[in-house]
Amino acid sequence: LVLVAPLAELRAQEPDYLKNIKPLLRERCYSCHGGLKQKKGLRLDTAAAIFKGSSDGPVLERGNPSQSRIIERVTATDPEQRMPPEHEGEPLTAAQVKLLSDWIAAGALAPPEEKGESDPKDHWAFRACIRPAVPHTGNVAWLRNPIDAFILNGHAQHGLTAQSEAPREVLLRRLYLDLIGVPPTAEEIDRVQNEHSDDWYERTAEGLLDDPRYGERWARHWMDIWRYSDWYGLGEELRNSQKHIWHWRDWIIQSLNADTPYDEMVRLMLAADELCPNDLEKLRATGYLARNYYLFNRNQWLEETVEHVSKGFLGLTINCAKCHDHKYDPIRQSEFYQMRAFFEPYHVRLDMLPGEADLSRDGIPCVFDGLPEAPTYRFIRGQENQPDKSATILPRPPDFLAGKGFEIRPVSFPAAAYQPERRSWVLESHLSRARNRLQSAEAAVPKARKALTAALRQEADILDALGAGKAGSAGATISRTEAKTAVEFGHAALDVAEAALAFGKADLISIECRAQAMKASWAATECNGADLALDEAMRESTVAAVKAERGALLAKSRLTLAETQQRLTKAAEDKKDAMAKEVRDARTALEKASQTAQAPVKDTDTYTLLAGAKWTATRFLNSTADDPPVTFPPLSTGRRTALAKWITDRQNPLTARVAVNHIWTRHFGTPLVPTLFDFGRKGMPPVNPELLDWLAAEFIDSGWSMKHLHRLIVASATYRMSSSLAGSEANAARDPDNVYLWRRNPIRLEAEVVRDSLLSLAGVLDPTMWGPPVPPDQQSDSRRRSLYFFHSNNERNLFLTTFDGAGVRECYRRDQSIVPQQALALTNSKLALDSTGLIARRLSDETRADDRTFVRRAMIEMLGIEASPAEISACLMALQTWRQQDPGGKGEAAGAHLVWALLNHNDFVTLR
Amino acid sequence: MKNMERSSRILYGLSRSRRVFLADLGMGFTGLALGAMLHRDAQAGDAGWAPPNGLPHFPPKAKSVIWLFMNGGLSHLESFDPKPMVTKYAGKTIGETPFASVQDSKKLAIERLIVPDANGNQRNTLYPLQVSFKKHGQSGIEVSDWFPHIASNVDRIALVRSMWTTDSNHGAQTQFHSGRNMLDGEFPTLGAWVHYGLGSLNDNLPQFISIGAREVWNRKDGHYLGPAHDAVPLRIDPKSPLDFGQPERPFSTEAQSVGRTLIRELNALRGVEYPADPVLAARVASYELAFRMQQSVPEVLDYSKESEATKKLYGLDLPHCREFGGQLLAARRLVERGVRFIQIQHGGVGAGAWDAHSGLKENHSKLALAVDQPIGALLADLDQHGLLKETLVVFATEFGRTPGSQNSDGRDHHIFGFSVWMAGGGLKAGVVNGATDEIGFHAAENRHYVTDIHATILHQLGLDSRKLEIPGRKRLEIDHGKPIYELIA
Repeated sequence: LVLVAPLAELRAQEPDYLKNIKPLLRERCYSCHGGLKQKKGLRLDTAAAIFKGSSDGPVLERGNPSQSRIIERVTATDPEQRMPPEHEGEPLTAAQVKLLSDWIAAGALAPPEEKGESDPKDHWAFRACIRPAVPHTGNVAWLRNPIDAFILNGHAQHGLTAQSEAPREVLLRRLYLDLIGVPPTAEEIDRVQNEHSDDWYERTAEGLLDDPRYGERWARHWMDIWRYSDWYGLGEELRNSQKHIWHWRDWIIQSLNADTPYDEMVRLMLAADELCPNDLEKLRATGYLARNYYLFNRNQWLEETVEHVSKGFLGLTINCAKCHDHKYDPIRQSEFYQMRAFFEPYHVRLDMLPGEADLSRDGIPCVFDGLPEAPTYRFIRGQENQPDKSATILPRPPDFLAGKGFEIRPVSFPAAAYQPERRSWVLESHLSRARNRLQSAEAAVPKARKALTAALRQEADILDALGAGKAGSAGATISRTEAKTAVEFGHAALDVAEAALAFGKADLISIECRAQAMKASWAATECNGADLALDEAMRESTVAAVKAERGALLAKSRLTLAETQQRLTKAAEDKKDAMAKEVRDARTALEKASQTAQAPVKDTDTYTLLAGAKWTATRFLNSTADDPPVTFPPLSTGRRTALAKWITDRQNPLTARVAVNHIWTRHFGTPLVPTLFDFGRKGMPPVNPELLDWLAAEFIDSGWSMKHLHRLIVASATYRMSSSLAGSEANAARDPDNVYLWRRNPIRLEAEVVRDSLLSLAGVLDPTMWGPPVPPDQQSDSRRRSLYFFHSNNERNLFLTTFDGAGVRECYRRDQSIVPQQALALTNSKLALDSTGLIARRLSDETRADDRTFVRRAMIEMLGIEASPAEISACLMALQTWRQQDPGGKGEAAGAHLVWALLNHNDFVTLR
Repeated sequence: MKNMERSSRILYGLSRSRRVFLADLGMGFTGLALGAMLHRDAQAGDAGWAPPNGLPHFPPKAKSVIWLFMNGGLSHLESFDPKPMVTKYAGKTIGETPFASVQDSKKLAIERLIVPDANGNQRNTLYPLQVSFKKHGQSGIEVSDWFPHIASNVDRIALVRSMWTTDSNHGAQTQFHSGRNMLDGEFPTLGAWVHYGLGSLNDNLPQFISIGAREVWNRKDGHYLGPAHDAVPLRIDPKSPLDFGQPERPFSTEAQSVGRTLIRELNALRGVEYPADPVLAARVASYELAFRMQQSVPEVLDYSKESEATKKLYGLDLPHCREFGGQLLAARRLVERGVRFIQIQHGGVGAGAWDAHSGLKENHSKLALAVDQPIGALLADLDQHGLLKETLVVFATEFGRTPGSQNSDGRDHHIFGFSVWMAGGGLKAGVVNGATDEIGFHAAENRHYVTDIHATILHQLGLDSRKLEIPGRKRLEIDHGKPIYELIA
């Protein structure tokens, strides 16, 4: 016995193939010697394959590690020889080498009939999505639609029973918060509670899907996935995303409300500029790409684009192939760059909207292929400074998914797409902007004159007073010098106002003449020189435009001079010298402008075109100066259109599955495929693959209708289950983690829903839709819905961040943390405390001061809870105590306190 | 199917061990990030992976970290790394000196610049040292005359003179906190990893605290670990120390107290219909903790019980020291109460206060005056309270400054060699590791990338960063760094 024990121990210490060796090989070796690749013909994914060896012969000798090439190679000190090779993986640790050696030394034992890795192309998500038959099993009475049949199948297989349906008030709150993001109002609750027909649920759901707030609620989900971000930078300098990017947000809301098919939305986001180049409404969609703009670094910009197009639409981590071939999926390094090539030509511009010629105030951020010839190179080991220029990489999806006949056709634009100044409203907008400026300049002159007159009168009064010997008397408020200065200032200001007026006039003329010249030139070009009269008109109007522009420049120089002189007048003594120099410079500039204005117009002289769009300048070369301008070409490469069509082709096995999984996750709180952005071999498989495929097929066949999918999901018995664990001990024992959905999973409400619910219950939620985001400094007083808050990497609302508001770089799934800061935000914030008073007042108006009714109403409206007697009496007790604490008060405070307690109840932030 | 069941179990998270873990922690701070961790589990496809259990991986030497960060880039040449050759050859270009080889393009290739601009360039003309150095203490370590108080504590310090990083612009601030160049994206900071890995020492206070203004690109910590692992910002203002720390509308304590009892009662009553709901339990506990925090935090900042001598030590009576001194005194009080990680930013505005592209002498001497006395005080005070042996103080900056001049009297950003130091927490004291070359250009001996500092700190806290990894979030070898064993006592 004494002898046996140590032997058994020894035996136990020998590495076990399945436990120790296989996981090690899987982690460190399979990516090159397994299902994905078989370098040198060697596979290490089964013991049999290991014994078979490589094309160079055996790699392992049983019982003899020192004679086994596998040990030789993993311990090689020469980086050329070592496995895994340099840049592919770290060397094995000493402990890992020992494991391997010990296993070999002990005879390399392994169980027979081991299965190797399957062909990666056969991975479930890469296979075509074929609609599975709806299973016929079990409790038919429970079924409401095919979703339930798949879920029930899972229940049957695992001996589970579906939890009962949630109570009506819970269902109602669930539908409201899930579909429109705010709780039902008192009237809505009353209406539903008095409904006798069974279809109240379907009718309510239908009504909510038609409600414009549906678009707002679900836009925020897609904004997470599609990485919505307002612009950010340093001070006013735009570094990331785009100013006015909110147009894209509004497009998402409107598209969802219109039930625009998902595939259409994807195509427009990737290529609206090619698909409908003059439709500004749709061009807003390309904000999806414009958002990736990054002032300083093209490489980072494009890497992010490839990464998130792949993750968001395809559930592929193509980004993992940036430096080397993908370790899990059949994606070669060059294929990362094939994907990049789709985006290599694109840049960003702002297109002018009707009625606003100032692009700093408004405009549509959209994309265009500005650099159609820009080559794409593979970067050696992903290093930007090491492009492999021996081959230009052409745009193409990863080969294993590309399919046959992938084709790219260049798109040729109508003139107004690459000459946006031709759009009907552009010239008129420039003109009306000039007219408005002129109008304010005109109004400023009499004002300045009046001020000067007043200053002169004041000076005269003081002089009179001096003459009358009243100087220094109590009545005089300013000194004579001060009065004199005021007069000087008045003259200077009038000079400026008059110069501004002159400039306003000259500028309007300049814009009129240039608009005229542009129109003449378009007319002439259209006839292609066939109409001599038109050619002549073009020439004449060009001369007039050049002259008028020079005139405007001259007027502008006069204005600048007047302004600098005004500043000189006002400058402090020690700044006078510097200002005097500025005045001299302004005078020189004026002289030059005056000479130019008098010079005859030559044939080669041109005028500045009135712009209809503006390229968003980049600074890739030097961060202190803009790069050479990128112009709008008449052709687009068609690359992004081809990519978009390939992604949204019904044959693409990933797109619909990924989209359906996103939608399911938001309805149920837990995904079907847990790794939302990775459907590859490193990701996790779906719990219910047939359900996923059925939903994907249904989605495509419905014409990619998201509302169809929502309708189907919320109508299912699966969706309508209670989240309670009560009476489900047997279920909980078999499936403690609710993998097979025998009950509903409660969801911690998203940040936006928490805030919007508060305001909605308080009756003060501002229903205004659309438009520029609420800036950070106005958010604390704003009652707009949270999705309209300015939200960027640098500027995120504190209350929303506390409840896990979306990160802008990547947010495929919201966190649902429970941290004390959330408790502080709901107990102490101005938002919460202001709301409690408002909610209490509204409730007490409605319940006419009956405490019991007040409590019941408060609980059902705020929490979706039909209060139990115990809950009611606890609340009544508390109300009483609060009143005792505040004997002189009118009892209003007690109601507010109760509301405060309820909004800090677990169920306020929980979707049961 | 087996495989699916395994992954699903991990996915839905609340495995038995997790429940036990939550119970063991008494729903402490780490346990409360429950939801976040459930979600984290969903990423966990790997067999054998388990979320941290709040305990160190091996016996720790240090319990807490005080992280002092000088934003903008402190000149190593005028603080902790004297190079007389720079003065000797002042006015000459580097190419004209015997040290021309430092500019070998291969050696410069570590740079990965995210924002190229007029700064972060080679500065060729050597600029003489702007301050003199003296040897201090038993160890005889040389420290510049701008830092007399740190100098008098030099025997408590482990100095590293051979740091390097890769971003020649201020993104290097983020890089020093996360270990990653901003070009790679955003990654959890060291404090977030510590918060993620270790349980709480005090259930009344946040475990990870940030003090001082933070640069725009360095405002968050948790990143992919989730916002639950962001530092909690603390203001040195007993009236308003925390965001939402006190009611923002009048609300009597008595009324609040009744409300809290009611909340507790109502949540318990819901437990009848929703029994065994771990989320409900976690939320109830988070309310209790929030309430305790609300009471405890102002007490931390109430300095009335500190002696006049202590306040004077930190320079609270001096206008130029008051702000930073107050922050460091808070740090000591937080450590005393068991807070795990306190991150203090100095000069976190614009590009960073220490960014002396011109007027270096005026800039650095003035800023040194603001930080030197409080830091000296912190070291002495911690030691006196017996806290230094289990508290690791870190003094760091994003990069050093060029040996060459910029704008005639300044120095540019310099990533190739710079200095940081640590003290306490089981490290050796009065020692120096590593060295730069004769003109302080390259880290020449025992070169350390920023994550070596992280690794050293984690090691002292008893953490193995490889065991903190999250499946699906690949970390590189360089992210883990290597502990500087030469400095470990």
